[in-house]
Amino acid sequence: MSGNGKGAVTRSRVTRSRVTRPARDPDAVDPDAYGRALGLSTGWTVFSYLIAGMAAYGFIGWLIGRAVHVAILFPLGMLVGLGISIGYVIHHYGRQEAAGKGDHR
Amino acid sequence: MTGDVHVLAAPAGGQCHIFSGCGFPAPGLENFEFQPLFSIGSFHFTKPMLIAILCTITVIVFFWLAFGKPKLIPRGMQNIGEIGILAVRDQILRPSLGRRGDSYLPFLVSLFFFIWLMNLMELIPLLQFPAMSRIGFVWPLVAIVYILYLYLGFRHQGAWGYIKNMIPPDVPLFVLPILIPVELLRFFVIQPFTLGVRLFGNMFAGHLLLTIFYIATWYLLSLSIGLLYAVGSAVLVVFVFLLELLVDLLQAFIFTTLTATYIASSLEPAH
Repeated sequence: MSGNGKGAVTRSRVTRSRVTRPARDPDAVDPDAYGRALGLSTGWTVFSYLIAGMAAYGFIGWLIGRAVHVAILFPLGMLVGLGISIGYVIHHYGRQEAAGKGDHR
Repeated sequence: MTGDVHVLAAPAGGQCHIFSGCGFPAPGLENFEFQPLFSIGSFHFTKPMLIAILCTITVIVFFWLAFGKPKLIPRGMQNIGEIGILAVRDQILRPSLGRRGDSYLPFLVSLFFFIWLMNLMELIPLLQFPAMSRIGFVWPLVAIVYILYLYLGFRHQGAWGYIKNMIPPDVPLFVLPILIPVELLRFFVIQPFTLGVRLFGNMFAGHLLLTIFYIATWYLLSLSIGLLYAVGSAVLVVFVFLLELLVDLLQAFIFTTLTATYIASSLEPAH
């Protein structure tokens, strides 16, 4: 930063003013709309994970249960799948929440 | 037109009311099945098909009239068209895709207005049926969205890159074999399934709810205490009608927003 201290202060004020009060851009993304899209996408992805976990491990449990003639493996598989899904959702989305960033998946 | 109140009340000669010895003609799946309007060989043309064609023509004609000869200062139809396009751009496309997604605006606008109009058909007198409550109209839309989603993913990230990006990046290596079945099932089955079933289910349930109160109003209408209940049911018809007006718009919005987020995740991998 060149020049005297007064010049630097003036420039810094201008910069700060631009940051805090940007000129209104008619094409700027509405933060509410962004939050809504992100929430919708994340919500349905989480829901899909929960169903997918139960279905995938329920199916694996059903297959093994059919092979070894133990019917309880089907509901057990579903519970295990639900547990895996919940664990992953907490791990993935909990971390994102803590980091304060989003996900479009 | 099996959804018609008079047809449902037909077993009692159209006079099926409370205290007349006639049971409540509860609506059911038969309200979603229609006699063919005409048949060509084994092909039967039904009312939902007519509604789908009407909606397609309406969307095409509306945007043709609005933007066939666009003016710098919009007037009339162009004004309304621009409001619709800007609403989709600012509330659906830009929040998910930003400016780089503007080339997908025609696709998202067509999708949104087609679904919205198809849903609104349940509230239009004489038509009174949401075509999206027949799941056969929903799956082709889901297929279009998902094929585009996969195509864009392969094109922008490459086949190997796309498959690699499907693997959750933030989990230890030993957890991956446990997560892969879940991830594969979610991506290829559950996600498209929920996309379609959400739209279908909402339209199906909404139409059934509206039909129940329509029929109940007719059924309870008699010179007895039933008249009081008929008025209550009529009030609920108005309430459900207004609710469906909102649900129709909301379901079109959700379907299009999710499509936009899928496109966004195809253009660049999510983290």
